[in-house]
Amino acid sequence: MNHLYLKGIEKGYYHSDSDSFELNIPQLTIQEGELFALLGPSGCGKTTLLKVVAGLLEPDRGEVLLGDQTISKIPTEKRGLGMVFQQALLFPHMTVEANVAFGLKMKGISKGVRLEKAKSMLKAVGLSGFGDRFPAELSGGQQQRVSLARALVTCPQVLLLDEPFSSLDPELREEMRDLLKGLQQDYKLTTLLVTHDVNEAFVLADKIGIMKQGRIMQIDQPQILYENPNSPEIALFLGARNVIYGQLSQGVFRTGSFKLAVPGKEEFYQQSGWIVLRSENLKLCPVPASTEFSQINRDLILRGSVVKSVFSQGSYHVTVQIESQSVNLSFPADQSSKPGLGEALELTYDPQSLVFIPEY
Amino acid sequence: MEKLTIKGLRHYLGFPMGLLLALTLALPIIALLVNSLSFGWHWPDLFPQAITNRAWSYVLSTTSGTYASVGLSLEIALIVTLINLVLGMPGAYALARYSFRGKLLVEGIVYAPIIVPAFVSTMGIQMTFLRLGLTESVLGVILAHLAPTLPYMVRALIISFQTLEPSLEDQARTLGAGWWQCFWQISLPHLVPGIVAGASLSILISLSQYLITFLIGGGQVVTLPLLMFPFINGGDLAIGSAYSILFSGMAGLALYAMSWVLKHYYGKRLDFHI
Repeated sequence: MNHLYLKGIEKGYYHSDSDSFELNIPQLTIQEGELFALLGPSGCGKTTLLKVVAGLLEPDRGEVLLGDQTISKIPTEKRGLGMVFQQALLFPHMTVEANVAFGLKMKGISKGVRLEKAKSMLKAVGLSGFGDRFPAELSGGQQQRVSLARALVTCPQVLLLDEPFSSLDPELREEMRDLLKGLQQDYKLTTLLVTHDVNEAFVLADKIGIMKQGRIMQIDQPQILYENPNSPEIALFLGARNVIYGQLSQGVFRTGSFKLAVPGKEEFYQQSGWIVLRSENLKLCPVPASTEFSQINRDLILRGSVVKSVFSQGSYHVTVQIESQSVNLSFPADQSSKPGLGEALELTYDPQSLVFIPEY
Repeated sequence: MEKLTIKGLRHYLGFPMGLLLALTLALPIIALLVNSLSFGWHWPDLFPQAITNRAWSYVLSTTSGTYASVGLSLEIALIVTLINLVLGMPGAYALARYSFRGKLLVEGIVYAPIIVPAFVSTMGIQMTFLRLGLTESVLGVILAHLAPTLPYMVRALIISFQTLEPSLEDQARTLGAGWWQCFWQISLPHLVPGIVAGASLSILISLSQYLITFLIGGGQVVTLPLLMFPFINGGDLAIGSAYSILFSGMAGLALYAMSWVLKHYYGKRLDFHI
């Protein structure tokens, strides 16, 4: 059993004078073979947590367990982990092959065997033939691939990744993600990934933990997390553009003069909270909703006027003022012409996609 | 008229400047060489009256004590440099990596010997060594040579440690390298240029010490500067000149030997300059 288990981890965390807090993780389990992503803004303590797992930082309290064994007292070099940092951190005075073979050398594996393993691992990351070069002769993406190969070649029990692709170009990042996902699944590696990139976490992770101010706010599978955020901050962080505070009562959500029908949520009575109205779930009405040809339920129609309209990457991103509330939505540019400022729009939405987060 | 540019300047002045530089470096050596081979070269003669190998045959004879003092000078310089490395490495590491109360004071004390005149500190060292019975001994001279050489070693190593990424060591540890392996495999190769710089200065400064060696060694520890001083100081300028050339050769060879050893050990992977 190689699952990773953190129990009662506490660590004073001092980012700067104004931003110091305590890392506090009551418990966290990462199943064997699972890719778990810790997602949070910079400075939320996620790298600190990773270093605690690696043994590079000692927690004030708490234990790290691998399987049933505590590894808290074992020094980093004997924990049998693989780690990839934000920078490739290749050893500049060694060839690429010697870099990859370094971990095996530390294990006392004979030169012939370790160089052979290094070669085949370099092949797995698509860098065969680069073994004799020095790190300075490689591009950033190649360096990070070598770093990944170096971490994987020792067959670590747990792979720790600290924003490994954040310093790469976007296209390269995507390529590296595919490579990582493939290797992680091939080797069935228990993996803990730390990232501030929402997209990266969603593409890679089997499970995501959202971190803020040293605490894990919510843990779930990506889609469940996306569809059911348990706080407005998480909803915003995961990309919801419209998180509106107001009151839900008998299936109608109100804030100021803005009203939204929320069928299926009739159990709430005068409950304050946030409604998450995703911009991709808001749609333009194809024909004027007032005509009798319209198929759309009249309760689900919002009318407003355009206050902002931007074209970007094949879509229009439009802000519509509906009564007292401004609402953001996006739709493909081929559906209609670009809405002009002040233009009146009729919108509709799928009530099933609405999420209400009650305030307690 | 052609525009005056840096490139143009280099074109027109490159050769004369190079020649001037070469002459500046070579002229003293040439003068010394001529002086060491001359016999009775007095003002206002333009050339020496005769050429003789008298000075050189004395310097290179076994009775002059040259070989012993060259050996002793190199031995002292080498031991001083090794002690500097052992002392400087942890000191420089701490000064480069940690911030602690009184750090500035510690740095001040480490660098003090190159700010305070050597004569001042040597007088104090001599008084102490007299009490400890360390004067007139090679050990005493070695210890006294540490004062003017250690600051340069520490300075060079601090700069090397400052440019060594600490996360590189973290990375090595996650790959299974213990403390010693981290130091030997990762840190040390990075430190080599700094070590070369510090060791070169340490060797050169130790080799050229006269006052400290004289005061602490009490004339009993005869390094090359001590051996040649009486000749330069009016005794016999021809022999003094021969010793000067010998001294330059010894220092140059010592540096060359050190860089050769390091280059062959680390191959072409490192660039460093002496």
